[in-house]
Amino acid sequence: MAAIAPSRLATLTRLRCSIFQTSYNPTSIRTGAKYLRARLRGPSMVEYYPPEVSIAQFNRMSGGDWRIVDPQEDMRLADVEAKKRRGKGAPKKAKSKGAYIVQLLGYGICTSGC
Amino acid sequence: MPNVRVLRDIKARNGVNANEILRRAYLYVARNQNLPPQVRYQAQLQLNTFGKYTRPTTVKNRCAESGRGRGIMSEFGLCRYQFRLKALAGEIPGVKKASW
Repeated sequence: MAAIAPSRLATLTRLRCSIFQTSYNPTSIRTGAKYLRARLRGPSMVEYYPPEVSIAQFNRMSGGDWRIVDPQEDMRLADVEAKKRRGKGAPKKAKSKGAYIVQLLGYGICTSGC
Repeated sequence: MPNVRVLRDIKARNGVNANEILRRAYLYVARNQNLPPQVRYQAQLQLNTFGKYTRPTTVKNRCAESGRGRGIMSEFGLCRYQFRLKALAGEIPGVKKASW
């Protein structure tokens, strides 16, 4: 059996591509088409978690006209208040970086590793 | 109330959804070997300017009930323990405990 010339095979491939509407790409060069062909995944990603309206969100939406009592949130705020009264609240925000070091020095903590 | 990891995941999901088409367009240009290298390079630089929460790989399926990140049964979107609790309570249609 005689060997078929490569040019003939290429012609055959090109013809096949034109018949089946595929792109003729003999050197298998990357065209990036797969990024356009793939389906968009965003819409289904967004729907993963069931929609949920929290009490805080609802109160914010109502515009302060009337609010639902949230026992958990009220308890949290009460705890924060109680901690503040015992002097265990969040520390004050430092005005500058130096202020923090001064504060540390006030406690007798050296920052330079001595 | 979802925990902070779930909130972060929701943020990532919304970011991916909002930027997906633009990112795909840049990806197409950057990966296309028919285009001149300079154009591809510019597209890649543009891709790098997108934020962390616009990449689909930052999205992780978490338990819809407890926010747990491991042991998720993807058909139900629940972690194995929440799945068990709900299945035993009869809240998942078509699921019942096997016994033989």
